[in-house]
Amino acid sequence: QDTRVAFGNSKADTSAPVEVTAASLDVNQSDGSAEFTGDVLVVQGDMRLTANRVFVVYDRGQSRIARLEATGDVVLVSGQDAAEAERADYSIDDGTIVMTGNVLLSQGASALSSDRMTIELATGTARMAGRVKTILNSDGDN
Amino acid sequence: CGFTPVYGPGGAGRALRDRVRVQEPDSPDEYLLVRTLEDRLGRGGATARYGLSFTLRTQTKGQSLTVTNETTRYSLVGKVDYTLTALETGQVVASGQVENFTGYSATGSTVETLAGERDAAKRLMTILADQIVTRLYATVDLPA
Amino acid sequence: QSPGTPAAETAQDQLPAMLVADQVFITPERQLVAEGNVEAFQGTTRLSARKITFDRASGKLEIEGPIRIDQDGRMTILAEAADLDQGLQNGLLKGARLVFDQQVQLASLQMVRVGGRYTQLYKTSVTSCHVCENGKPPLWQIRARSVTHDQLERQLYFEGAQLRVLDVPVFYFPALRLPDPTLDRASGFLKPSIRTTSQLGTGIKVPYFFRIGDSRDLTVTPYVSPHTKTMDLRYRQAFRHGGIEIKGAYTRDDLTDDDSRGYLFATGGFDLGNRYKLSFDLKTVADDAYLVDYGLPDYDRLRSEIELTRTTRDSAFRGALIHYDSLRDSEIEDEIPTRIADVSYEHRLFPTRLGGEFRLSLNSRAYERTSSANIVGRDVTRATADAEWRRHWITASGLRADWEMGFSADIFKISNDSTYGNHVTRSTPRAALSLRYPMTMTTGTGVTHFLEPVVQLGWSDVHGGTPPIDESRFVEFDQGNLLALSRFPSEDAREDGTALAIGVNWARFAPSGWQVSASAGQVFRSVADPDFSISSGLAGKDSDLLLAAQIKNASGIAFTARGLLNDSFSFSKVELRSDWSHRRTTLSGSYLWLGIDPQESRMAEVSEFWVDGSYKVNPSWTATANLRYDIASDNATYAGVGLIYRNECVTVDLSLNRRYTSSTSVEPSTNFGFTIALSGFAVESGTEKYRRSCGKS
Repeated sequence: QDTRVAFGNSKADTSAPVEVTAASLDVNQSDGSAEFTGDVLVVQGDMRLTANRVFVVYDRGQSRIARLEATGDVVLVSGQDAAEAERADYSIDDGTIVMTGNVLLSQGASALSSDRMTIELATGTARMAGRVKTILNSDGDN
Repeated sequence: CGFTPVYGPGGAGRALRDRVRVQEPDSPDEYLLVRTLEDRLGRGGATARYGLSFTLRTQTKGQSLTVTNETTRYSLVGKVDYTLTALETGQVVASGQVENFTGYSATGSTVETLAGERDAAKRLMTILADQIVTRLYATVDLPA
Repeated sequence: QSPGTPAAETAQDQLPAMLVADQVFITPERQLVAEGNVEAFQGTTRLSARKITFDRASGKLEIEGPIRIDQDGRMTILAEAADLDQGLQNGLLKGARLVFDQQVQLASLQMVRVGGRYTQLYKTSVTSCHVCENGKPPLWQIRARSVTHDQLERQLYFEGAQLRVLDVPVFYFPALRLPDPTLDRASGFLKPSIRTTSQLGTGIKVPYFFRIGDSRDLTVTPYVSPHTKTMDLRYRQAFRHGGIEIKGAYTRDDLTDDDSRGYLFATGGFDLGNRYKLSFDLKTVADDAYLVDYGLPDYDRLRSEIELTRTTRDSAFRGALIHYDSLRDSEIEDEIPTRIADVSYEHRLFPTRLGGEFRLSLNSRAYERTSSANIVGRDVTRATADAEWRRHWITASGLRADWEMGFSADIFKISNDSTYGNHVTRSTPRAALSLRYPMTMTTGTGVTHFLEPVVQLGWSDVHGGTPPIDESRFVEFDQGNLLALSRFPSEDAREDGTALAIGVNWARFAPSGWQVSASAGQVFRSVADPDFSISSGLAGKDSDLLLAAQIKNASGIAFTARGLLNDSFSFSKVELRSDWSHRRTTLSGSYLWLGIDPQESRMAEVSEFWVDGSYKVNPSWTATANLRYDIASDNATYAGVGLIYRNECVTVDLSLNRRYTSSTSVEPSTNFGFTIALSGFAVESGTEKYRRSCGKS
């Protein structure tokens, strides 16, 4: 049963393992948060996120990532959709990614730009807000 | 009795003399108007500090009609809108509209009516030019 | 797409529209849902709506209203809902209204846009009247089964159209084509008019306008009445540096016994470059009464003229060939000069060392009477050379002295008149000194008074023969030639001897804009000049007293008067003219009084007034009236009343004119005119819009 989604080509599985690679890592012992800097790559299922700096917050028991804050040339790719922004907040608990700052979403032939974009992974919907602009060319074009 | 000569010291006539560049005429009537304006205000060539631009409109109106449907008298009605501007600043120093008319009879022969028409135009341009100059001298307030 | 569409246009159609919104929501089915100030732009089309859903698979837009589509500023579509393609060019709109120039509205339940060019509307109502919310029908509307608008050709094609006035069907057109209001020049019918005159009965004129390219057009107006069948033509052509207009008519009527009548007027003007201007104005008519019978301009002499002029600041050239065709009963055609050639050139020089101004002028005029009988058939060619030097000085105390001296040489060649030699020559030296002392006084309240006494002592001495005075029998005397050295209108007569002219000019300028001015002048001569007639005011040694006055304000009131008071303290000439416009009333009038003067072949006094007024009863209704009354013979020569109803969508013009003049070829006639124009489709004239109120009226 083909579950259509607004972003990427299938519902993201927020419980899948998250793999983070970066040039350097600083860990903060007190609150258990970690800061990856330098060509950071975060992979979860078929979603890949790259950024200059990613700040990771683990949940209480240090067992699982609760939240990721990616800043600087953030690119989120899933299937043949890609979204760029200055910052992205991925809350794994809520299952939402909120991208802010010159957001540019390109889906197939069309591209949308706005100030903010919220992707709800559970329902597979994406909502863009703030001076949204797009070119209405359909996939069937040329 | 309170009157000061226009061409006297401090008068507008002396202040404007040879300081006004009148707009170039583009028709025989306008030539007569400019000729009289330049005669009163001077040529204002290189020494010009003001520009006088104008729009002339004339209309011939049948004045009197006999019972046998012959027009015996014509009036040539003229209106001029003028503006005097300071050349460097472009500021309007004076502007206004003058109007008047001159008449000529048409009971004579064709050449008599033609001569009357041409003379009426000449007289009307003199009257309108004099009215403009009179208004300029009386109402212009020249910057210091 | 018809082959004729310019390539650029088709490419532009393909471009997809750009969408802007406050929020875009991408559904799982990958549909874009835009909400909040949603706008889409495509070429010159701009669409705004409440919500747009864009299905990317099919490329269709589903739009929820209120929708507004603006097409290059002059066409607007309003709709409640619509399904359009991504280029906003094709699709279906519901509850749509097509509005041109914010005035003409086409309302329909359903509108289909096809090929980015055609818009089809079904069950449409078209009107330019204001549609009131209270459901009252507009003043007029055209209901049609369908209307197709061709955006490229800018035409409207109606099928099954009904013209309704206050919802009463008045006219039915199975098929009707109208140019859409944004098209400035389109072939088609112009507003019809009804004309009733006592001679021609009630007739109707239906003009049709043919657009011939961008710079030419032809208007054909058939005019049919029980007594006449007339085809009226007007052809206009614009060139890069000029334009011509030819008007004419061919008539077969039963007013005269000749089988066909008509007239032809051709006018035009060209700018030849280097300040040369050529203009022509040719007139001819079949018979003397035609112009009056058909309400054309009421010339009593047809003057055809070709004129070339060149005017610069310091030189003026004018050359004209003039032909007269007199329609006056009192004139014997071949004993009045009908062919005239006239050329004049003046140049002004400004010698630096000598100062002042040199005026050199040459002018020549030749006129010919077709009859070659002695004296009555006299032909004259005249040439004059004139040189003048003038200079002015201003004394320290503000006195201005103008010195002027000149010399003119005239030569006349006279034929067909034994009482004069073949040639007459004349030479006239002249000189004059004028003194002016202009003064101003400004009172405390800002009122400025201007006072200028003027005095001129002039001298001229005419030597040589005496030519026939064919041109200067009628001499006028006003402020324009108080200081002239020869007040005759033309060079065939010149003033001789010494003359003292005195004058005073006074004016009062109030800050409120009111101006009052007055002038007086008189000429005292050493020797009376017999060539001056009594009513010229210049006869005898002391001229009549010239009195002139004017009252004027900035907002449209002007009263000008001039008179010549003779020594028996009665006026030999009075001319008044006034214009008065005040809020809803405009009134202009003139009065003329001329005394009896055998020298000017005026055996009875001329005393006549003319008045023309209009009163705006209310924003829609304007009443006009005019009257020309000959007091001397105590009857009116012209009288007319008119009523104009104008609101935002219709202009109705009623006029009733009565002309009382009669002669052997012209009879008195009453003329009733009625025109109705549906604005929006008729030629727009005037700027203000009057909206019919939605009340009970």
